Amino acid sequence: MRMPRTLARTALAAGAVMVLAACGGNPTAAPAGDAGGPEASGPTEAEQLYEEIAGLSGQERRDRLVELAAEEDGLNLYTSMNADMVDAVTEAFEDEFDIEPSVYRAGSETVLQRILQEQEAGFPGNDVVETNATELMALQQEDVMAQCASPERMEEVPEAGKYEDWVATRFNLFAPSWNTNIISDPPEVWEDLADPKYDGQLALELGDYDWYMALTDYWLEQGKSQEEVDQLWADIVDGAKVVKGHTVMGELMSAGQYGLASSNYTYIVEAMKASGAPLETQPYVNPVIARPNGGSCMKTAQNPATAMLFMDWLLTEGQEVLAAAEATPSTAEIETEIVAVDGQKLLDEGSEWSQRYDDLLSGVEQVSD
Amino acid sequence: MTANLADPAVTPEELRRPADGPPEPRAARWRWPLTPKMFIVAGVAAAIGYLALVPLGYLIWGTFFDAQGLDLGSFERAYGDGRMGELWGNSLAFAGGAALLSITVGTTLAYLNVRTAVPFKALFFAASIVPLIVPGILYTVSWIFLASPQIGLLNAFLEPILGTAPFNIFTIWGMIWVEGLHSSPIVFLLMVAAFRSMDPSLEESALMSGATRLQTLRKVTLPLVRPALLSSILVILITSLESFEVPALLGLQNGIYVFTSRIYFVLRSYPQDLGAAGALAVSLLAVAVIGVAVTRLLAGKGSKTYQTVTGKGFRPRPLDLGKWKPVVGVGILFYFFVTVVGPLLVLLYAALLPFYQAPSWEAISSFTLDNFAQVFEMNSAARALKNSLILGIGAATIVMGLMAIAAWISVRSTIPGRGIVEQLSFVPLVIPGIVLGLSISFVYLRFPLPIYGTILILLIAYCTKYMPYGMRYASTSMTQISSELEESAMVSGASWWTTFRRVLLPLLSPGITAGFIYILVVSFRELSSSILLYSPGNEVLSILIWEQFENGSFNVLAAIGVLMVLALMFMVTVAYKLGAKVGLRED
Repeated sequence: MRMPRTLARTALAAGAVMVLAACGGNPTAAPAGDAGGPEASGPTEAEQLYEEIAGLSGQERRDRLVELAAEEDGLNLYTSMNADMVDAVTEAFEDEFDIEPSVYRAGSETVLQRILQEQEAGFPGNDVVETNATELMALQQEDVMAQCASPERMEEVPEAGKYEDWVATRFNLFAPSWNTNIISDPPEVWEDLADPKYDGQLALELGDYDWYMALTDYWLEQGKSQEEVDQLWADIVDGAKVVKGHTVMGELMSAGQYGLASSNYTYIVEAMKASGAPLETQPYVNPVIARPNGGSCMKTAQNPATAMLFMDWLLTEGQEVLAAAEATPSTAEIETEIVAVDGQKLLDEGSEWSQRYDDLLSGVEQVSD
Repeated sequence: MTANLADPAVTPEELRRPADGPPEPRAARWRWPLTPKMFIVAGVAAAIGYLALVPLGYLIWGTFFDAQGLDLGSFERAYGDGRMGELWGNSLAFAGGAALLSITVGTTLAYLNVRTAVPFKALFFAASIVPLIVPGILYTVSWIFLASPQIGLLNAFLEPILGTAPFNIFTIWGMIWVEGLHSSPIVFLLMVAAFRSMDPSLEESALMSGATRLQTLRKVTLPLVRPALLSSILVILITSLESFEVPALLGLQNGIYVFTSRIYFVLRSYPQDLGAAGALAVSLLAVAVIGVAVTRLLAGKGSKTYQTVTGKGFRPRPLDLGKWKPVVGVGILFYFFVTVVGPLLVLLYAALLPFYQAPSWEAISSFTLDNFAQVFEMNSAARALKNSLILGIGAATIVMGLMAIAAWISVRSTIPGRGIVEQLSFVPLVIPGIVLGLSISFVYLRFPLPIYGTILILLIAYCTKYMPYGMRYASTSMTQISSELEESAMVSGASWWTTFRRVLLPLLSPGITAGFIYILVVSFRELSSSILLYSPGNEVLSILIWEQFENGSFNVLAAIGVLMVLALMFMVTVAYKLGAKVGLRED
């Protein structure tokens, strides 16, 4: 008597779950192609404004945007810039235009998720997005952004930073860094990382598959065979340690847990060096691997003129602010050879490379202590 | 018959029910009279169902279905990996070891604290909560600074005695050690509540009948707290299986991978493979469902077994440790030095330095308060602290309020389907935080009321996330309270609500207080769903911590950790003082 009732109840509960889930359609399927549907009903108001302003340039453009922005209601910015950077940028922008941006800050994957969720639900949460290349490529594919940067400013950005719907505002540079108390003969070329003399001293970062992809491609372009490249990676990983997080990567290196970090962000190392840590990242191992970070305006922006003004400003005056916050601005001359991470390739093949990098690292041999 | 008039839901049968059998299911007689009791019970059950089913439905839908219909490819992606056996082996060894360690440590500490006249009680209680307050990343890194073969301070200090590098934190043992210690407060809090509600006369009878202390412990004390023990094991096993911080920071250095590293990778890529993450979570769900069923079965077998708070007056009185007192005292001091003072000192040391370096005169002379100053200068620090406080206290209050009633439904009532309430309340434990965040934003972006973008959405997320813990704390306490107390109140004419409020709630207070403290403390470091759901203006403290971890300075992070320990210790003390004012009193 009891058993069937229990079963029935369980079935009922399970059924309720299904019904509840079914109500919303598949919430986790990637919203490929139909993101909210602003494009279904022709250009949005914001797009029309971008179109209208696109014809203007110079001071005329700036004045018109300032005039229009005054009628709008602030600015909503979603970004993965770090706190120091974003504070510096928003303060400078406010000083200049008396508009205080309201900022949502998170990791680039989270910024992407948030925008996708909001767009799918037709909720125009942000006017501007500023984040990593991979995520911007995903947003470009979802067709939710509109290029709004001034063509004059875009000319200053290297090719590796120009895309259909967005433009690079800064670069994150990946370069080896080392503890000067431990490493007296730092690597000079990337191949040096495979040198057995660094066994037990080299650390790799768990999530840096974009660096892994870019360096692999670079080596292949240099004429190395796939076997040679595979062997290099095997030798790099052999005797290496894996850490999670770039801050921890720098901290443990300054503490002496290991002497050489393969791919830390240069700005993290520079900041630690500035506070006296025995770390060094220069002379750079050439070429430095650069991952573009960029921005764009949203098609659904509620404050499109302010969004445009912000992007224009970030590519002009804002570039100095970024430089002052230890970032590498996209319009500045970089005095070293640069290999840019291919954003489109990251989007298309990202999960494959992430899996390969994961497999590579988990083959890490036991370090005997 | 007075009871009947006051509360029509109590039937004469219920009053005459034999005292020592399980409550008879009387579904056929069940009716839904329109009483406040019915509204409260139905409301609580509905709230739990809603909170649990939103993320569960989202996860299950994403795991089993795609645009074309039923799809089991996600299982292949999740489990098809050739290394899966090794990953699960590592995971199980790690989780099992951590559970064993935290159960042993947490239970021993709780027993000594509540049931014996142990020395250093005040220090002790406060200090056993500390590992809970320190965010996992900080706790783990401080252990690297203590016990790394290369830079470990303990290794350096003990080298003359024990030889080169006696400790190596980058092993499965190191992982178990750190995770076990970090989780022991969960057990400690659960067991403190259980021991508080235990009638010492049972142990005294055993001792008087000639049993040794050890026999008493084994045959009387531990069996009586079995529900709490089972709850602890279940919670720790699942949280350790899900944990990624400790395995990532300690295991990866020597290539020890666990299965959560797969979840980490599938959730990082675009488009996010929620299906594969869900397929992995389904295993955890199975463990959880079986675990809850087993605890219900054991606790339900003669519900009298664990009822130690009865109509007979009892006052929990601490046992005298006798000649063991100094030994225990030294043991406790040693324990705290190693597990609490050590990591905390390292954190404080790191917080005072501009960058980490091995202790030396040079290091000490570079001590600075800059890191603390930086914390106070952060634009949103004050606002984040305020929001975290509101959310922590709000979530802890709501969850414990709901779960007190839910525990009554699950443990005490005869309502059909009561077991489902307990199962549902446990569901959020197996849902990855990011999935919880996504499901909540999915729902509230389409909700007619403007909850998205406000602090309320965070409150909902926290309530969902901490419901399983709240339920463990509340239901464990509930199994200890004899039904005769309620029955007496009802016979004396009290309504159900009055009985609940005036009799049950005060008796539940050890469990409620412990649950409240737990939720308050851990909500301060909730990140995985907060980061997706917060909006400008309602930042929380964990976002600042994340920020420093992701792109900032570890030393500022250490300063935040030290400040958090200070602030939360103060609040925990206040909560306990308040909790001790109601309910059972000690001599």
